[in-house]
Amino acid sequence: MSKKKTKIKLELTRRDFLIVGGTAAGSIVASQLLTTGPLSPFAGFKQEQVEGVEEASTAGAGHHWGMVINLDKCIGCEYCLRACSATNDVWVDQTGEVPETERRPEKPWNIVVQDKTSTGTPFFFSRPCLHCGDAPCVEVCPVRATYHRADGLVIMNYDRCIGCRYCEIACPYDARKFNWQARTDVNPFVPTWGIPEVNRRPRGVVEKCTFCIHRIDEGLKAGLTPGEDREATPACVNICPVGARLFGDLNNPESTVSLAIGTEATIRLREELGTEPSVYYIIPKEGL
Amino acid sequence: MASRILNGRKLFYISPAMIAWMGFLGLLILIGLISAFEVFWNGLYITNMSDSVPWGLWITIDLSSIALGAGAFTLSAVVYLFGLKRFQSIIRLAVFVGFIGYTTALLTLIMDIGRPDRFWHPWVYWNVHSVLWEITMCITIYLAIMLVEFAPVIAESKFFSRFSWMRTAAKYLHRLAPLLALLGLGISLLHQSSLGATYGIVKSRPIWFKPSMPIMFILSAVAVGPSVTMAIAHITEWITGKATIPHEILRSIARFSGFAIMIYGYIRFWDLAAVTYYGRTPSVSEAFSLLAQQTPYNFSFWVFEIILGVVLPAVLFLSPRFNRNPAYLVIGAIFAVIGIVINRWNVTVGGLFVPLSYSPGTLYQLQPGKYFPGLPEWGIAIGIIGYGLTLLTLGIRYLPLFKSEQHS
Repeated sequence: MSKKKTKIKLELTRRDFLIVGGTAAGSIVASQLLTTGPLSPFAGFKQEQVEGVEEASTAGAGHHWGMVINLDKCIGCEYCLRACSATNDVWVDQTGEVPETERRPEKPWNIVVQDKTSTGTPFFFSRPCLHCGDAPCVEVCPVRATYHRADGLVIMNYDRCIGCRYCEIACPYDARKFNWQARTDVNPFVPTWGIPEVNRRPRGVVEKCTFCIHRIDEGLKAGLTPGEDREATPACVNICPVGARLFGDLNNPESTVSLAIGTEATIRLREELGTEPSVYYIIPKEGL
Repeated sequence: MASRILNGRKLFYISPAMIAWMGFLGLLILIGLISAFEVFWNGLYITNMSDSVPWGLWITIDLSSIALGAGAFTLSAVVYLFGLKRFQSIIRLAVFVGFIGYTTALLTLIMDIGRPDRFWHPWVYWNVHSVLWEITMCITIYLAIMLVEFAPVIAESKFFSRFSWMRTAAKYLHRLAPLLALLGLGISLLHQSSLGATYGIVKSRPIWFKPSMPIMFILSAVAVGPSVTMAIAHITEWITGKATIPHEILRSIARFSGFAIMIYGYIRFWDLAAVTYYGRTPSVSEAFSLLAQQTPYNFSFWVFEIILGVVLPAVLFLSPRFNRNPAYLVIGAIFAVIGIVINRWNVTVGGLFVPLSYSPGTLYQLQPGKYFPGLPEWGIAIGIIGYGLTLLTLGIRYLPLFKSEQHS
């Protein structure tokens, strides 16, 4: 082996030079064409899709719908849960031997639970979908079945969802649920708590709270203001007997939600995750 | 003429043992098909998965079979990129095993998604931010690469011997091998690590959210993947009685696996100490104490993942006392595989067991996510194993997997 030792001479022939130079130049051109240039597969959706924003997403631009939940006022009556489950026809667990009045959805869109402050004072805590500004569920969806609208809503496209349930795993707030089976149930909250305003979701897709988007969109078309006119306001906000829930445009400094956030001490859930939820909580008087 | 008939008889002669074995595999596949029908008919409702534990046994199978298929890209890179030509003889088997692993994962995924009729959506509706999208694309591309890599072997099989043009085409295709190996390496490094990132990016789950997740996934895959191919070569030799791949080569692969498993073990220890212990946050501590109290997580971690899955294979693969004996190498590979499967299970189900914590007052408002696979899930798992073994048996029997390059 040692006999084979040869002097290494750097000989650059014209041919080598052209090959190396050509490859380098070609790579640069190709990379430019493929990333930002006309050949790029990403060029077509630079604006909308890379931002995670859908075609229909410009609806309601200029607004940012948000909710304020007053933990000091909430009495835990679960009316919001029932109205939501009736209006959006959410699946209800009928396997147990629970009397009809006490039946609740297995995993409703809107939960109400009892919680305790650090000093031990009980209070009631409820949670719709928080419609995060930087939603983990939107980021992880492999098919863009869930997306941001320009008005801050995080929306599901039930026709596109493949049911991989990654969004359910990624959501920090447990706000999503999966349709494990085809719906044949009778919704016990209908008609007492409301009439279904949207279709049932098919088997195999994930669903979640929409802030009653159908009411917002129709209401805006009719010239109503969501949060002020009942027809354009989410069912849970309308039904609350103590006014613990406020709804409105966070972009409008005069809206009830903006005024509440401006005057009361509010928190958002797990703000350290950077998800920028659109739901604010007014904390109990005793503190948390 | 006579010799041709003889050849034909030899090719299609099936021993009683083979019939019994194929019958057994047929039974496994039948169990799988019945379970698949049940799941498609009733929906995922009949599984034990729930909204708190939406992923379970099937995801564990996906992750494990893709990791165990990593021998294909590792060994292709060794031969065609690093130029270690003496490993050429194992490439065909490695790619075949990889192909089985990846198709296994895709079949299980089809069962797992709620809308199997929309399986094609990721290829049409891109979300470039989603690791799951990236994994889907990479797996598809890599499956195509493996098919092209493997096409010459199929073209060489006796069934196609009457079409001479296929051999010519195969020869040209084979010249692409270095390019395919390069592509395969890139694509595999991407998605093998992204499988870890699938968990590592979920910031709401304390025991998942760490940058070491993708590193541990890819290292364990590179370490254990080749040893699976090695073990299959040895087992094939025991059953068929014919020499498959030189033992020296298989021993070298075992030693490579042994070193890689040690590196994986080191990173695993670094993760345990630096990321999980010294760098822990209150939520990580809470999560681990919950797992320790209510699940066999600690036991399965130390016994299955570390002692049986890392230490034992490393000793068997590296110590000259053991690695000259194929039996020890096969035992080592089996335990390394068990280690991988238990690791993927612990990551998936352990992470989902710890409830989310988002309520403003109480730490855990929700109950821990209890999960143990149900009957249909086991049925699918059995069917999937049957599928893999059937493909392996037929491939070893009818494809020229162990022919060396010089002959062609």
